[in-house]
Amino acid sequence: MNVSLKRIQAILIKDYKEFSRNYAISVMILFPLLFALIYRSDGGEQATMYAFVMNFSLAMLTSFVQACLIAEEKERSTLRSLMMTPASMLDVLIGKSSLVFIISAVVLAASTYLFGFESTNILLLVAALGISILLYTAIGTICGLYSKSLIEASLSVFPVLIIFTVGPFALLFEDDYPVLAVLNYLPSSQLSELLTNMEVGASGGDLYMPLVIISIWAVVVTIISFILYKKRLMDY
Amino acid sequence: MNIQAVIVNGQKIVPAVEFELQTSKVIGIQTNVQRKKMLLAQLAEQPDTYLSLVDQGEYTRLTVEELLRFLKNVSGHKEGVGSMLRRFQLEDVKRLKISNLTASKCAYLSLLRIYYAQQQTIVLEEPYFQLEEQERQVFARLVQELSAEKRIIILTGNLEDALISCDEVYRLDDAGLHHLDIADSDNEPEEQAEAEEADFKVQKIPTKKNDKVILFNPPEIDYIESINSLAVVHVGGETYSCALTLAELEQRLQHYGFFRCHRSYIVNLQKVRELITWTKNSYSLRLTTGQDSVVPLSRTKLVEMKKLLNI
Repeated sequence: MNVSLKRIQAILIKDYKEFSRNYAISVMILFPLLFALIYRSDGGEQATMYAFVMNFSLAMLTSFVQACLIAEEKERSTLRSLMMTPASMLDVLIGKSSLVFIISAVVLAASTYLFGFESTNILLLVAALGISILLYTAIGTICGLYSKSLIEASLSVFPVLIIFTVGPFALLFEDDYPVLAVLNYLPSSQLSELLTNMEVGASGGDLYMPLVIISIWAVVVTIISFILYKKRLMDY
Repeated sequence: MNIQAVIVNGQKIVPAVEFELQTSKVIGIQTNVQRKKMLLAQLAEQPDTYLSLVDQGEYTRLTVEELLRFLKNVSGHKEGVGSMLRRFQLEDVKRLKISNLTASKCAYLSLLRIYYAQQQTIVLEEPYFQLEEQERQVFARLVQELSAEKRIIILTGNLEDALISCDEVYRLDDAGLHHLDIADSDNEPEEQAEAEEADFKVQKIPTKKNDKVILFNPPEIDYIESINSLAVVHVGGETYSCALTLAELEQRLQHYGFFRCHRSYIVNLQKVRELITWTKNSYSLRLTTGQDSVVPLSRTKLVEMKKLLNI
């Protein structure tokens, strides 16, 4: 599979125009900003709230948009004719993912600003969020591959939203149900833990452990999404 | 190009066919929906082939100009968007979103993707089906232009559509690929037409069915049999009774390639597919009409028929 920057750019621009004119999808960029404004006043446990807003935005924006972009292309069977052009499957995937990455990065940065989250270690925060965006993009790809239409794609994001965003809250019942300790290893729980640790001023292993776990998630899910993408499109 | 036979439930739907493709010659294949789908599935497997299917969707939120720019960049086509718009006669709608175009324009736009195809062979499924007159003309011209460098096949269920821009038209049925001889009416020598006019006689075979008189052109008839001294005309699996006697019918039809193959049968020789030899002196003729129509052939008539057919 050869990858060409020119083709990736063409796909990115095309998808950007389609995204910005499809209000049913592009309205999603408002939710992270809205949530950031609603929850900003909290003084004490700022990090937990901020982690929730971020986790919610990643699922609702990153995964959702990626799933919709792929599903819509399949729904209108434009993907098939795209496959017959010199553009490779990788070109299409990278083009779409980079658009989603850019949109997510901008919106998350804006909502961080609106929320007023102050970090002691900006570099670490950016790295954690960047890796998370990659992870949620890959999850979105998988959702998109398993849905045939836009409607299916938007529904398929809900399990992601429930498991990843609500997961950390289920940890409250950990004492009653020890099984739930597994949820500690969700990337969203890890992001939450990382942000809390940063707030209390921890250092060393406490900061880097969550980042490593999120990275492992990102790498594994990205590889799975690549394999599935290749396999599903072959059948297609 | 080779197409393999497709057999469903022991019935041969698509026979194995082979045809030659060349540039500057647009091939049209007319067949039914089922065979078209099977043919397309096989064509998709062929290397270096671009398929333009009838259910091709479009990026409806882009404008015409943006779509062409996207196609140009993604396929690495050389020609600029401006000159392509002129060539496609789309300049007046270039700023319109594709969702706002008429259905005909939108279908036309989807078809234009073949212009950006890198592949040497291009297969078009029902290209003219959704096009209105104006787009048809433009697209037919573009296909002709494109055929100078690409090999183009048009698959359609409608013969008229195939005639719009194909140089050679074939019909595909379970027996194989039949070349349709299509002469341009302008080229026909006129004196011949005049000569025909002079001794032109209308020859129809009157038949009756449910108290209705139905007239058949001789070539339509498969065979005629005599049942209880009443002539029964078989056309496409249906039977119609005829008031004429077999002798009269034979006389009327002998110039149309009919042959009295048996004391009580007249057969249309054009429709005979197979000569079956049961024993040394018992024969039958199987017809092309498919529905196991077999007509007996008497031994005495066999020699006569062989002479008639030069075999």
